[in-house]
Amino acid sequence: MSTHSATDIFDEVAYIHDGSPEGMLTCIFEAYARHEDPAEVVSATSYQPQLLQRAVEVPTHPAHAARVSAGIRQRLGAFTQRQVMKCTLSGRPDAGTVLYRFIRFAYDGAKRRDCASCPYSAACSGRSCQRSQMAPVNDIAHPRVKPFHDAVRSVDNECEKIRQFARFQHLKDEEREVWFARINPKDAVVPLVLGHFIERFSVQPFILYDEVHGMAGIWDGKQRFLVDAEDDALTLPEVCASEVLMQDAWKAFYRSLSVTARYNPELRQRFMPKRFWKNLTEMQDGAPGLKAY
Amino acid sequence: MDIVQKLEILSDAAKYDVACTSSGVQRSGKRGQLGAASNAGCCHSFTEDGRCISLLKVLMTNVCVYDCAYCVNRKSNSDVVRTSFTPRELADLTIGFYRRNYIEGLFLSSGVIKDADTTTELMTATLRILREEYGFRGYIHAKAVPGAALELIEQLGLLADRLSVNLELPSSESLALLCPDKTRQSVIAPMKLISESISESVELRALMRKRTTVYLSKGRPRRAARAFAPAGQSTQMIIGATPETDWQILGLAASLYRTMRLKRVFFSAYLPVVRDARLPQTDHVPLDREHRLYQADWLLRFYGFDVSEIIDAAHPHLCTDVDPKANWALNNLDLFPVDVNTCAYEMLLRVPGIGVRGAKLIMRARRQTTLGEAELRKLGVAYKRARYFITCKGRYMGQGVSFDQESLHARLASPIDGGAHGRRADKTIEGQMSLFDGVDAAGSPLLSAPAPQTHPAPELRSKAGEVL
Repeated sequence: MSTHSATDIFDEVAYIHDGSPEGMLTCIFEAYARHEDPAEVVSATSYQPQLLQRAVEVPTHPAHAARVSAGIRQRLGAFTQRQVMKCTLSGRPDAGTVLYRFIRFAYDGAKRRDCASCPYSAACSGRSCQRSQMAPVNDIAHPRVKPFHDAVRSVDNECEKIRQFARFQHLKDEEREVWFARINPKDAVVPLVLGHFIERFSVQPFILYDEVHGMAGIWDGKQRFLVDAEDDALTLPEVCASEVLMQDAWKAFYRSLSVTARYNPELRQRFMPKRFWKNLTEMQDGAPGLKAY
Repeated sequence: MDIVQKLEILSDAAKYDVACTSSGVQRSGKRGQLGAASNAGCCHSFTEDGRCISLLKVLMTNVCVYDCAYCVNRKSNSDVVRTSFTPRELADLTIGFYRRNYIEGLFLSSGVIKDADTTTELMTATLRILREEYGFRGYIHAKAVPGAALELIEQLGLLADRLSVNLELPSSESLALLCPDKTRQSVIAPMKLISESISESVELRALMRKRTTVYLSKGRPRRAARAFAPAGQSTQMIIGATPETDWQILGLAASLYRTMRLKRVFFSAYLPVVRDARLPQTDHVPLDREHRLYQADWLLRFYGFDVSEIIDAAHPHLCTDVDPKANWALNNLDLFPVDVNTCAYEMLLRVPGIGVRGAKLIMRARRQTTLGEAELRKLGVAYKRARYFITCKGRYMGQGVSFDQESLHARLASPIDGGAHGRRADKTIEGQMSLFDGVDAAGSPLLSAPAPQTHPAPELRSKAGEVL
């Protein structure tokens, strides 16, 4: 914290957190606790110092983050809380600022539109609720809500991309067996998509490893774990014999399925952005089917 | 022949089937069983032509006793290596792919080996291994072979999520011409059976859920283990191989949606893969026409349009320069402009430039805000197109263009992004001169006359005709 005389010369304050969802929520807690209105809430890695802006590092406090989360659920409903959680996982540098501004706006208006008195609020997702139609989260054309809505939507889209493009490899040695997928999403979506993969692959122990955020979702056949993992800390078994055959079969299938008369690589790239190609089995052999006009 | 080669051949033969959707059924996962299905489906990859790969789309076999003119697997085509999967091989391959998150499930089609019944039995055997032995809960789309016994199709439907019977050609005359072994009846009969079985199964399962009747424990009917084709049925038509008009095609599609309760009708632009005197002698693939037909199809299914609003007998082809919805709006200018802040959802859907997502966002936002130009742009509707048909805050948004059919048509028909939009292959205009034209052919391109290149000599043309 700066001294009194130092604060006077600054117009604005920026809160800096450690980049975790809890850190972001702690900043929101601090803004209310200190009666300040930060112009920016950013992670230490994406912060750019500005003239006339005082930077305050906010140490992460999980209990405070939990209080913010619980408060949002109580005041704004479960649906909004879920959206806020998604926003905290966003990889956009301005996600914290967007979230903070939205929460200020929502809390200011929450008294006349809250779900707190609703008897169904605990079980309500808010999607089809008539009462919550006037909730601040639905005021999507508002300049405070629209950026929040966009951030949440881009996290949702990234989840879908991972559900589409995660590719598992069968790794096996004498005592261990695991299905391993390496992904590189923009947002830290592993906690959001892990349930999807557990639902369909409950029979196989798997690791969903996010190499960008150094995070892995693990399913051991009975329980799920979310762990921090760095690349060099991974010791994995060798790929099993059938894996190579299956990858070859998949590549052959991919190649033979395209129709030359309809050749349209721009369309493919729009649906399957290039940043995912490095972890896609079928795109390993130097992007098949790319020809020059 | 190893499994990779087989897969290569049999997926290559199946790729002209355009249906590749894994949507329409919601089935949660179960501990100890592989797979789940989600209502929206999931595309796992995209081929270099931009089409999605969501299912392992293969033929059981490419041996076929039929001789359909347009099909690469026709009996008389001797250029194709013939092979087939055993049910076990195919089931193992499906599971192997599924476990690696390559696919959402299996799309099983087949050439007709020996007869329709044998083929269907082979397919059923595969599905049975998947469902009963492996407990697979993923998506399965199976093709009902025209002419198969109806009991066999019923068995297939209890194992698959979606069934489809390909209509292939939009009229019985065309069918008789190009597919001498199929009749309209042999296609329609399984379709009808499937649609009846689906609605029967839906009703039965709804009754079972309600528990309105109290049974003694012995008399209680056993709950059907699986629904019959819970994701419905679909079909496919080839566009451009025969002279049917868009009006006939869309009329047929609409009546199929109505009477057979189809989930989807797919249109497949005719691609010349085999040469035959009965087929159009051209290399042109009518992708634009296919695109317009799909747009019209979307209007039927999601936008509440009736087929008679989109197309009529007097104009039997869809307008090529504007999309069907814009075309409808231009012909019904008396209904416009509408006020986005007050008009009904159904009317919002009919504004060119506002889609289902845009209309829903507008409905959601306008409870709390009065929408103006800035808000609409932010919501992500195609404001540039929509503005000619709307008012917001009491102002008409399309100022500067007179509100009549011709000038609005000109606006809507102008290329998106000045033509920078769309696929690269379409942007090379035939006959367009390039800087490098004729550099190799003639020493000095500027001095030699370019005319002979664009207009080939008449005798050359007739020669080409003879070859074909």
